[in-house]
This record gives sequence, structure tokens and C-alpha cells, in this order.
Amino acid sequence: MEPTSQVMGAGLLSAAIWIPILTGVMLLAVGNDRRADVVRAVALAGSLLGLLVTLPLYLGFDPASDQLQFVEKLPWIERYGISYYLGLDGLSIWLVLLTALITVFVVIAGWRVITERVAQYMAAFLILSGLMVGVFSAMDGLLFYVFFEATLLPMYIIIGVWGGPNRVYAAFKFFLYTLLGSLLTLVALIYLYAQSGSFEIQAWHELPLSMREQTLLFIAFLLAFAVKVPMWPVHTWLPDAHVEAPTGGSVVLAAVMLKLGAYGFLRFSLPIAPDASHELSWLMIALSLIAVIYIGLVALVQTDMKKLVAYSSIAHMGYVILGFFIFNQLGMQGAIVQMISHGFISGAMFLCIGVLYDRMHSRNIEDYGGVVNTMPRFAALFMLFSMANSGLPATSGFVGEFMVILGAVQYNFWIGFAAATTLILGAAYSLWMYKRVVFGEVANPEVAGLKDVDRREFWMLMAMAALVLYMGLYPKPFTDVTDASVEALLQHVSQTKIK
Amino acid sequence: MKSAYLLVPFAPLVGAIIAGFFGRSIGRTLTHWVAILGVLISLLASMVVLRDVLAGNVFNGTLYSWSVIGELKFEVGFLIDSLTAMMMVVVTFVSLMVHIYTIGYMADDDGYERFFSYISLFTFSMLMLVMSNNFLQLFFGWEAVGLVSYLLIGFWYTRPTAIYANLKAFLVNRVGDFGFVLGIGLVVAWFGSLDYAEVFKAAPSMQAETITLFGAAEWSLLTVVCICLFIGAMGKSAQFPLHVWLPDSMEGPTPISALIHAATMVTAGIFMVARMSPLFEMSETALSFVLIIGAITAFFMGLLGIIQNDIKRVVAYSTLSQLGYMTVALGASAYSVAVFHLMTHAFFKALLFLGAGSVIIGMHHNQDIRDMGGLRKYMPITWITSLVGSLALVGTPFFSGFYSKESIIEAVHHSDIPGAGIAYAAVLCGVFITAFYAFRMYFLVFHGKERFAQADHAHGHEHADDHHAHVPQESPAVVTIPLIFLAVPSVLVGLVTIGPMLFGDFFKDAIVVDPSHPAMGELAQGWHGWLAMGLHGFLTLPFWLMVAGIVTAWYFYLVNPAIPDRIRGALSGVYRLLDNKYYLDAFNEKFFAGGARLIGTGLWRGGDQSIIDGLINGSARLVGGLSRAFRVLQTGFLNHYAIAMIVGLAVCLVWFIPLLTRR
Amino acid sequence: MPPAVLPQAFNLLALLPEIALLLAACIVLLADATTKESAGWQIDRLALGVLLLPLAATLYVAADGHSYSFGDMYVSDLMAHTLKVCAIIATGVVIIYSRQYASDRAIRRGELYSLALFALLGQMVMISGSNLLVLYLGLELMSLSLYAVAALRRDVATSSVAAIKYFVLGALSSGFLLYGMSMVYGATGSLNIPDIVQSIAFGRVSESVLVFGLVFVVAGIAFKFGAVPFHMWIPDVYQGTATVATLLIAAGPKLAAFALAFRLLGEALMTVSGDWHQMLIVLAVLSLGLGNIVAIAQTNLKRMLAYSTISQVGFVLLGMIGAHTGGDAARSADAFGSSMFYAITNVLTTLGTFGLIQLLARKGFEAEEIDDFKGLARRSPWLAGIMMMMMFSLAGLPPLVGFYAKLVVLESVISVGLVWLAVYAVVMSLIGAYYYIRVIKVMYFDEAVDTSPIVVGNDVQATMAVNGLLILLLGIVPGPLVSLCAASVRQALQLG
Repeated sequence: MEPTSQVMGAGLLSAAIWIPILTGVMLLAVGNDRRADVVRAVALAGSLLGLLVTLPLYLGFDPASDQLQFVEKLPWIERYGISYYLGLDGLSIWLVLLTALITVFVVIAGWRVITERVAQYMAAFLILSGLMVGVFSAMDGLLFYVFFEATLLPMYIIIGVWGGPNRVYAAFKFFLYTLLGSLLTLVALIYLYAQSGSFEIQAWHELPLSMREQTLLFIAFLLAFAVKVPMWPVHTWLPDAHVEAPTGGSVVLAAVMLKLGAYGFLRFSLPIAPDASHELSWLMIALSLIAVIYIGLVALVQTDMKKLVAYSSIAHMGYVILGFFIFNQLGMQGAIVQMISHGFISGAMFLCIGVLYDRMHSRNIEDYGGVVNTMPRFAALFMLFSMANSGLPATSGFVGEFMVILGAVQYNFWIGFAAATTLILGAAYSLWMYKRVVFGEVANPEVAGLKDVDRREFWMLMAMAALVLYMGLYPKPFTDVTDASVEALLQHVSQTKIK
Repeated sequence: MKSAYLLVPFAPLVGAIIAGFFGRSIGRTLTHWVAILGVLISLLASMVVLRDVLAGNVFNGTLYSWSVIGELKFEVGFLIDSLTAMMMVVVTFVSLMVHIYTIGYMADDDGYERFFSYISLFTFSMLMLVMSNNFLQLFFGWEAVGLVSYLLIGFWYTRPTAIYANLKAFLVNRVGDFGFVLGIGLVVAWFGSLDYAEVFKAAPSMQAETITLFGAAEWSLLTVVCICLFIGAMGKSAQFPLHVWLPDSMEGPTPISALIHAATMVTAGIFMVARMSPLFEMSETALSFVLIIGAITAFFMGLLGIIQNDIKRVVAYSTLSQLGYMTVALGASAYSVAVFHLMTHAFFKALLFLGAGSVIIGMHHNQDIRDMGGLRKYMPITWITSLVGSLALVGTPFFSGFYSKESIIEAVHHSDIPGAGIAYAAVLCGVFITAFYAFRMYFLVFHGKERFAQADHAHGHEHADDHHAHVPQESPAVVTIPLIFLAVPSVLVGLVTIGPMLFGDFFKDAIVVDPSHPAMGELAQGWHGWLAMGLHGFLTLPFWLMVAGIVTAWYFYLVNPAIPDRIRGALSGVYRLLDNKYYLDAFNEKFFAGGARLIGTGLWRGGDQSIIDGLINGSARLVGGLSRAFRVLQTGFLNHYAIAMIVGLAVCLVWFIPLLTRR
Repeated sequence: MPPAVLPQAFNLLALLPEIALLLAACIVLLADATTKESAGWQIDRLALGVLLLPLAATLYVAADGHSYSFGDMYVSDLMAHTLKVCAIIATGVVIIYSRQYASDRAIRRGELYSLALFALLGQMVMISGSNLLVLYLGLELMSLSLYAVAALRRDVATSSVAAIKYFVLGALSSGFLLYGMSMVYGATGSLNIPDIVQSIAFGRVSESVLVFGLVFVVAGIAFKFGAVPFHMWIPDVYQGTATVATLLIAAGPKLAAFALAFRLLGEALMTVSGDWHQMLIVLAVLSLGLGNIVAIAQTNLKRMLAYSTISQVGFVLLGMIGAHTGGDAARSADAFGSSMFYAITNVLTTLGTFGLIQLLARKGFEAEEIDDFKGLARRSPWLAGIMMMMMFSLAGLPPLVGFYAKLVVLESVISVGLVWLAVYAVVMSLIGAYYYIRVIKVMYFDEAVDTSPIVVGNDVQATMAVNGLLILLLGIVPGPLVSLCAASVRQALQLG
């Protein structure tokens, strides 16, 4: 691949990575709770600036090309030919924009709620954001890994410091669970280096590998990415992490962090081990279908709103993986759209739950009921997101699901059949929760005393709503950008790499 | 003309948005004027379109491209042909009537603006559904009307029954959509397109295609596709066994029951199948499946209508049964007849519902027909219009219902699709049942003793404040005018349109009938104009069945009211079966809902928490244990350490020396 | 070949650093003898000041590159310079960290510093030794000084006990080493490493005797590193002695130990790497396993770090294991380079962690229980932040230097096809991650019990800051140091 548009790409990606990180570091260095408002303002400015620099990425992106764009390449660790190598293609661009966008929401979401160690809180999220942008734009295997791993640090702190009562357990579970997977990936990366003499991902794409090698590599990658996604059966860290994490943490976790894993499949597993991917696709499909049905049923019986949404996230991510491993354009495109859309929807769902939690300090469904009577505007927005979560047409939630189902039926009727059950399950758990929380008579004095969303919350959620609807009514802009790269990827995966 | 096409769906949408977002601020009056204006524009535009279509202009074009994946185009566009045009007019007309009616019915409800925005939104969705030229948009409308129905059934969101009913409705519809999506998926997989025209063009070439689903058994592709699509229709059009949501949906305000759960939305399935006639015609199996389902629905749901005492539920079951009739017509590959009945039914059923609503207003929201009686004195207009509606429903010659129902029965009679025999029997019995429950309701409500007086004492507390409560009065004009407007077509629309719709070439470009299916042909044979048909109607078996039904109802409920109770006593088993709606709700609640919750809990507690987390935490504990175990080695005694070193060295020696000297 | 070496026979220049250091040590000794304890702060300044002499000398010598002297008995090459500079700086940092601690505990700093300097001298001799006896001399000089250091706190029983253990076991291990060396001498007929290489190369050796000696040599080296099963002394000594002694024992000597291992295994006995790498595998597997697993059960931070050190040693050994490439000299060199990188960076974290323990200690209070760190993030975000970086670095998480250390050694292991070993290592370091992040949990998630203010001198604070930031900085730009290590090994093996 010859990088294109090198000139105009100069530094944009680096800016997108380092602006948030440096802002965060600065806050850590000088910020303190006495000047909390200044800290918040700075954090907001940093996140907005970070978002701003990603816009030219979108505007300047050439959707016709499947090549890397906005490439930056500097030698980093010459001894191992490791370089600071950034680039964007159709697979990653939306994730970069999503990350930058969600960060802004998170900063706003934590505005009033977080009152102690504000600087550290904001810093953690800003740094996290920069690191995740780095993951999505790194084109050097080790650079990717460095960013990928580094995201653990701030998240561990976020859950542990600002988390709920059981936060320590959740933080450790999150940390060790994810570390387990990624450490083996490190071995895989080094192995690829030993084979190819290079850490460049694209070089690995071209590297011929025997079936045995591919299978082992695939499994090594699978461990890391499956945990992150998360796929059944290594998903149990997510509900705990979500429940204990502060609202902002849950939002980032669901909206972006889970995508790190899914993106890994796109960037590593599929193109580096295409034959193994085909060989093991049955396994992947099986796991993702289990995620859709098993997890769907589990979500149904949750009594804790956050846990419920967490499980629904797992189910939705199952769709993403399913889309990847049915090897057709519908599936792949649908999966990518699903990633972005899930970013919006799950983010919005957690924001909504956060709105309730900030008022009632409870996530238990039975503590609620009849919220609509006291918070009509909130109820309307929450309704929209719940519907989106159950994949209603004209919301972004529909687009990905629909495409993946179509692709799945194309691949095999029964796989499509199993996948389509989400139409029922998704609606069941989303709307049943909505019914119990929002509808009905006012359940108790606390609910009676609820205040409707204030301006900050309202516009925050409105913005999300706008995104969800726009993407649902007109996804073409999204799919167009990814089209070329997806086609190239499928093309690449369809060719064997066995010597 | 393009502008008219756009005007039709988007005028109501604008109305909905204004009413929804600014209703509170612009006030009730302005809100309902905006909404009504939107629908009115839409109606007028639809009429223009209809005229244009009658002039022979068919339009099929794209509005915008939703997305493009490889070869596959996802688009939003319009297909305007006779079928669409007819639906547009029906939908917008009924919708307009309901809008006006709502002013009166919802007068003292504080969700007034919300209600208007919902029904306008519904009108928009329904129009998008019928005007679609591809499966994607069809599904869009399909789900959108489902959403609005959900919102409206749960309109009174504080009522437990209402919010139970709307969730149930949505989920049952989702079960249908489940099949629907799979159908669309198969279409995409095999036809590689979502566009009606392309799919229909390719259909004949696909007739030979087969797919294997279970083991080695080969299934005709089109059969599977059609059955999947029809499952969707079963959900929306409340066909057995997915009908369970419709009776509960009566929790919604009455105008909704008229608009959504009688006239328009529930007929979307019928419309869809008619639209897909080029596909269904390719598969006898699918048709006979449709036929059987329709027959079951037509007959058994009618039976349930007999024992209902809630005025709206009677009408609801009648709707189910009538939908069964339409489905039967579809199965007999008499699509035009189905659509014809759809239209006539839309008018008289909307009329009946709105009439019922008017009665309910008069009765101060008491819906139990046992508490009514003799209302004709107090509510003349409601009475007359309801009578018209009932006559149309039971199929009195020259009424619209007569032409459509008669044609269905004839079509089934002539059809040779497997199962036609049963279906014929079912629809014949259906005639008697329909007549019976329709007039049972009519007599109980408008004739006989006035029972509302003592009923009022029972319900006195509800409105102890006003004393006029005892005597029902006629509803205001905004309520009665729509009744009249609906009564007219309920009588006339049949005889006016039957010629062109069934035997003319009105549907020539919209509905395809395979020559090998005789029903329509035979029908055409016996067609000598509406007058002849009407007169001949008096001599047919269905007519006498109908009369029998009416007479029985008259005897049971006016002459000798003791009989029904005696029968109930005699057939208590049957009665209990009917009273529990064949125990389907109980079954679903226990088996599906309960089962899902049970499995979910099991997987959660058992799978996630016990097994998976058990392993995780277990391994953690294991390491901890090892740690404490190895710790013991560190005794702190110098000699132990020294020994350890020497042993270590010795081991190395004995291990390596032989190994090395070997070389 | 005696005549050939005559010209550079008495090339004293190569010894300049050691000479300078000896001088410095004597100065401190004299000063201590002449001044009284009250003038302690001058001693501190002095000790630091005189350290500049050997530092300067080393840099000066480094300028003219690779040279032998005393007839190949003494080598001064890039590796020597690198390691010496590190060792000197390490000692200097220890002096800075320990000032307050030592004076609080009435440790005669004059003694302390002079001993530290003599230990450093021993290290530097080991680093430059190119002859078995010279190596041994250096080793003993270092060890004896450290035994004394370990015993500095006569008033504290545990300290004396630890010192005894250290001494006895150390003597035992020296015995092993010396015996092994004599065997090697017997087998090859030479003490000079270059000659040993020659004679082995020409096959004029009795294989079995050589290997017999090899086993003892490896055992000796393993002891200095503290690899299982020669690790027993580490927990007791680290925990038992005063933290300042722990620092001196834990930091510099590891560098010397690496040099020793490299000179003996990497240079002298490289040709029989097939034999010693198997032993190293056993040692590495045991160290990684035991170190990480047992560390979990510890509640005493010093003891936990002791076990952590054992596991880190396992990684250092991994690097050397990767050197057995079956003749590919360049890759063997890189393998040792990775190991060297690991050793150096590990010293960095060792200094930081034990240094922090010292900083938090007060008169009559040792901050060595993990719980003593509760709520540190609130008491001193700055120190907590540094400790956090140390812990993440030890756990091998990017973007901290510890990650690259693991990366390079894993690379060397995998490149020789020992993937299973790499997998084992990472699984063990996963277990290790648990107790490292537990420290962070204590600092950040728990509420402080001891809220007494932390008083730290500016110079100490600054040093600590540099120490911590280096861990981050080297994590962001590890390239230069990696290359330096690789280069020095290549040069030592004359690969250019």
C-alpha cells in the first residue's frame, strides 16, 4: 500500500492523539478541586479541540481509496524497526471520530456530578481518549499494542477511584481479565516480527503463514480481542465494570472501548490469518450467536439497569463479530455501522441511566416506576434510545442489525434465523425495562420528587438523539466512507496466505 | 404529480412534528387545526393522485438512496399504482374522520396534543408503508406503524393494563417481523435486490429454485420466502396464532381502535400480500398456508366475539374475524377481492368503532354492553349510523360489506387451492356468527330495557358530581359528523367500485393472478353488474345464514333473554374455553414469557455467575493458595537455605553432567 | 601470547575510573575519620561530590573506546562504560535518598558512604574484569562491603540476622563460583577470557570438566542475581536490613551480576551456550513462577518487592537464554543486549520503589507494610503518581519502560523458537500484575489511615521526580537506550 494524501495529513492524527493527552497531563500537573470550574472548562476545551482536529480528517478523507490516508511515519525504536506510524482508512476513520465525539459527551456528563478529584477525573478521560484514537490510527503493530494496553491504566483508575461500592473487585476483574488476553497477543506480535522482521501491520498482511501458524496467531489475537469485545464466554467482566464505573466510565467503555476489540479483528485476525479465519469462522459465528441469544435472555432478567444495558451491549457486539465472520459485504459493512451506532446508542443509554442515578442514586429497576409523570422530556428521549436499542427502523440501531441479518441469511438461513431473534429479545429487554422504569403510576415519593432533565442534560441527550436518527434515516454517508476499505479487506481475506 | 406524491405523506408528518414539539405552546385548538389540515391536504392530494392513476399514469421512482452496499441498493421511493392510490385514499379519509372525531372524544384529556401528533405520525408512517416501492421502506413503515401503535395503546401510560397491552402488542408484532425480515433476507440473498419491480420481474425464473432447510428436504425457495413474509403479515394483521395482541390493544383510546386496529394498520398485512401477489402466485403451498390461517382466524375469532361484553372487544373480535376473511381471499388468490373487502371493511369497521366510541361517551366511559340498552332514543345519529355499520358488516345485500364478503365466499368456493374446502365451510359459518354477534351487540346497546340507570348506581362514584350522568345524550357534532361521513361509503362504496375493482382492469398493473388459479375467472363468469348481484344476493345461502344469525340474536337478547344464560350453563365447558380465548394468552404468558425469564435466570445465575465467574475467581483463589503454600518454603533458617542451594546445585550436576558427557 | 600484549600491558588509562573511585572512597573515609557526626550534611555533599571523579573519568575513558590492559585481564569497552555510569549514578541516587533515613536511624553515614563506594569499586572491577580472577576479586570486594552494609544497624536484630544469612550464603556461593572457575581453568588452561575463548574454539579442552565447572559458575551467578533455587537470601535480606542497605544490595550489584554473567557466559563460555542455556531455562522458569506466585501472599512491601525482584531476574535470564542461537553471533549479542536493557531499567525501578519506601519512613517508623501506603494519592499525589508508574512499569505495561524491557527479552526468546517459554513468562507476569496493581489500589482506592504530612527535601523530591519521569520517558522513547545496550554487547563481542 502506498500512502496517499501524505501532505495534507501532516500531523492531524498526531494532534487528535496528543491534544487530549497533553491537556490531561496538564490538568494532572496543575489542576485541583479548588479551581474545579476552571478544570472543567479546560477539559471541555481540550475535548472540543480534539474533536475539532478530527473534522478535517473526515472532510479530507477520500472515500474512493482503500489506501491509508493522513499517514505519519517516524522512526521510533530503530533497533527493532518499530516506527511511530499512523494512518487512517475506511475501517478506522469513524471510530476515530466517534472517540473524539464521545469524549466531549463524557466531559459534559461529568460536569456537575463529579465534585472531587475533578482534575484527575477529567485527565483520566482525556488521556484515555487520546490513547484510543491512537489505537485506531496506529499502523505499527507495537505502537498499536502500546496504545491498546495503555488504555487499561486510566480505565483501571476511573473504575477504582470514582466507582461504586464494589469498585475494587470490578477494577481488578477488568484489569486482569483484559491483561490476560493482551499479553498473549504481545507474544503473537513478537512472533510475527520474528517471522517478518518488521512490526508494520501491512507487512504482516502480506506475510505468508502456514495453517498451523495462522491458527495459533488467530487464537492469540482472539483471546485479546474477544475479552475486549467482549464475546461469550469471556464477557463476565463487563457487567461488573459497567455497574461499578461512574457514568462517564460506562459511556466510554460501551461506546468506544469495546470497539477496540472488534477493530482488532478487522486489523489483525482477519487480514493476518485469513485462512484460519475461514477455518474457525464456525467458532466465531457460534460464539456471536450465543452472545445474541444467551446474553439476550440474560439481559431480560436483570434487575439493575446498568447491568441490563451492559448485557445488551454484549449482545449487540455479538452482531458485530457475526458480521465480520460471514465474509460478505453486507455483513462487514453492517458490522462496522453497528459499531458506530452502538457507540451512540449504548452511550446514550448509559447517559440516561446516569441522569436517573444522579437523582435517585439507585440503578435498581424496582426502585423506579412512573418516571414519565415527573420527567416527560426525559421519558421521550429515553424512549427513543430504548427503541433504537431494540433496533427500530429510522434509528441507527436498525441499520447495522438489518444489514447483518441480511448478510447472515445470505450466508446461511439458520444463522440468519438465530441472529434475527434479537428482533424479539432486543425489544423484550429494552422495552420491558422501559415499561417498568418509566410507565405506570408514580411508584414512590422519590420518583414523585424527580426533576426533569436540566438544560445541560437535555441538549446532551438531544445531540445523541439527532445522531441516532440521522444515522438511521441516512446511513449512506457512513457506509460510503467505509465501502472501499471493506471491499479491499474482503478481497484480501478471500485469498489464501499459505505458502 | 411528484409534488402531490410528496405532499401525501409529509403533510401529516409536518402536522405531527408541530403538534408534538410545539403543541403545548400553541394550544389545543391550533394544534388540532394544524393536524387536521395536514391530513386534509394529504387526502386531497391522494384524490388527485387517484384520478391521475385512473388516467393510467403509474409512477415508480426513488426518493433518495438510503445506502449502497456493493451491488445492493437500499432506497426510499414511491410506487404509485392503483393499489397504492386506493390505499392512500382510504387511509387518509379514515384518518381525517378520526382526526375530527378526536376533537370530541379526547376533549377532556390532558394528552390532547400528544394524541394528535401520534395519529398524524401514524398517518405518515402508514402512507410511507403503502407508497413504498421496495422492501426496505416497506419494513420501515411496517415498524413505524408498530411503534405508533405501541405509543397509542399505551397512551394512558398510568394504566397497568394499557402498558401491559402495548408491550405485548409490540413483542407479538416483533415475532411477525422476525419472519418478515427473514423473508426479506431470502429475497436479497436470491434476487439481489430490494426493489419490487426487479424482484417481481425475476420471480418466474426463481420458481424452480429450492433450498434445504431441515436435513435433505428440498423446499421451493418462493414457498419459504412467501411463508416468511406472510408470518410478518400474521403479526400485523393479527392472524392466528399471532392475533393475541389485538383484543388487548383496545386499551388504547377508541379513535385509535378505529384508525389503527380496524381500518388501516391491521390491514397492512393484507395489503402487503396483495402487493406481493407476483410471488405468492408462484407457490401453491404458501397460498394454502395463507388460506388455512385465514380460515382459522375467520371462524374461531368470530366465536369469541359472541361472548364478549365489552363493546369495543366485540368489535375487535369482529375485526379479527373480518381480517380472516381477507386472508382467506388472499389464499384463494383473489387478491383484488381481499383488497376490496379491506376497503369496505375500513369504512364500516371504522364506523362501528367510532359509533361504539360515541356510545362510550354517552355512557360516560362505561363500556359494558350489559349496562346499556335502549340507547336509540337518546343517541339517534349514533344509533342509525351503527345500524348501517352493522348491516354492512353482516353483509346485507346492496351494502358495501355484502359485495366484498359475498365475493370472498364465492372466490373460496371456486378456488382449488388445497384447504379451500375447509375455508369455504369456515367462511359460511362465519357469516352466521358475524350476524349473531353483530346484532347481539346492536340489540343490547340500542334496544331493549334501559339498564344504564341501575348501572349508574353501580358506577355512581365515578361521576357523582354531575347529575345529567344518568341520561346519555347524543354526542357533539365533531363526533357525529364523522359517523355520517363514514356511513355513506359503508353503504355505497361497494356497489360503486365492485365492477372496476374486481372485474374491471383497475388492478391490472398492480395485482398478478396466475391463470392456473380459477377463482377470479369463475367469479367473473357469474358477474352481471352490481344490481344483479345484489338481487341474487337474497337467494344465496350466506344471506339466509345471516338472517338466521340476526333472528337468533333478536330472539336471544330481546324476546327471551333467559336463553343465553341457560345455554351458557349447558355448555359451560365451551363457554370457559371461549371466555379464556382458547387459553392462548395463558399459554403464551406461561410458556414463552415465563420460559424466557426462567431460562434467562438460569443462564445468568448458572452460566455466568456459577460456571464462568466460578472458574475465574476459582483460578484466582488457586493462585492465592499456591502462594501461601510456597511461602512456607521460606523458613528463615539459614541451614535450610544453604541446603536448598546445595541441593539445587547437585540437581543441576546430576541432571546435566550425564546429558553433556553423552556427546 | 605475552609478548604481543606488552605495549598495552600497563595501560593505566583503562583503570582511570577505578583509580578515581578508590581515591574518592579514601577521601570519604578520611573525612569521616576526621569530622564528627554532627557535620553529617558535609559528608553527604562530599560523598556525592567525590562520585563525580569516577563519573568524569569513565566518560573520559569512554571517549577512546575499546581497550584492554594488563594483558587482557582488564577490559574497558562500551558495555563497561555504560554499566559503570549506571552503577555510579545508582550509588549517587542511593546516597541522596538515604541521607534523611540514615541520620534518623543514627547510622554513621561516613561508614555507610565509604562502604557504598567500596562496593561500587567492586562492581566496577567486576564490570571490567576480563579475567576469572579479576572478576572474582571484584565480586568479593563488592560482597564484603555489602555484608558490612547489611549489618550497619547493629541495634536491630533482624538486620544482624539478615547480614549473617547474607554473609554465609554469599560465601557459599563465592565458593561455588571460585570452584567453577578453577574447573574452567583446568579445562582450558587459562584465566584470561580471550584465551579461554581461543582454546575452546580450538577444541583443546576436556568437555566434561568444562561443563562440570560451568554448572558451578552458573550457580554462583544465579546466587548473585537471586535466581531460584539460589534466591533464599533475597527476601530475608531485603526485608531484614535497613532500607538503605536494601537499596545498595538491590540496585548496583544487579548490574555487576549481569556483567559477570556476560563476561563468563557470553564471552568465555559462549561456545558451550547449548549447555548453560538449559540450566538458565530451569532457573528462569523457577524464578518466574515462584517469584510471582509467592509475592502475592506478601503484606510487607519490601518482602513483596524482594519476590518481585526474583521474578524480574527470571526475565533477565530469559534474555540470556535467547543468546543460544546456534552460532548466529549477532543475534546472540542482541539477546544479551536485551538482557542488559532489562537489568539497567530494572535498577531504575528498584531505586524508585525502595527510595520511596525510605522517603515515607520517619524516625522510628518504617513505611514498609503495603498498608502504610493507604491513601497516599491524597497525602501526596506526586509521590503516589511516581509509585504508580513504578508499579505499572514492573507489571510491564506500556507506555512505561518495564514494558519494553519485557518486549526485548521476549523477542530474544521467541526468536530462538522458545515460544512456550515466552507464553509461560507472560502468564506469570499476569499473576505478577495482580500484586503490583494491588499497591496502586491501596494508594488510590483506599482511604488514608496515617495522615501525617510527608516531609521530603527538595533535592530528594527532584531526584525522585527525575527517577519517576525517566521511567515514563524511557517508555516513550526507549529507542536510544535499546540501541546503546545492543551496541555495547556487539562491541564487547567484537561484532562492531
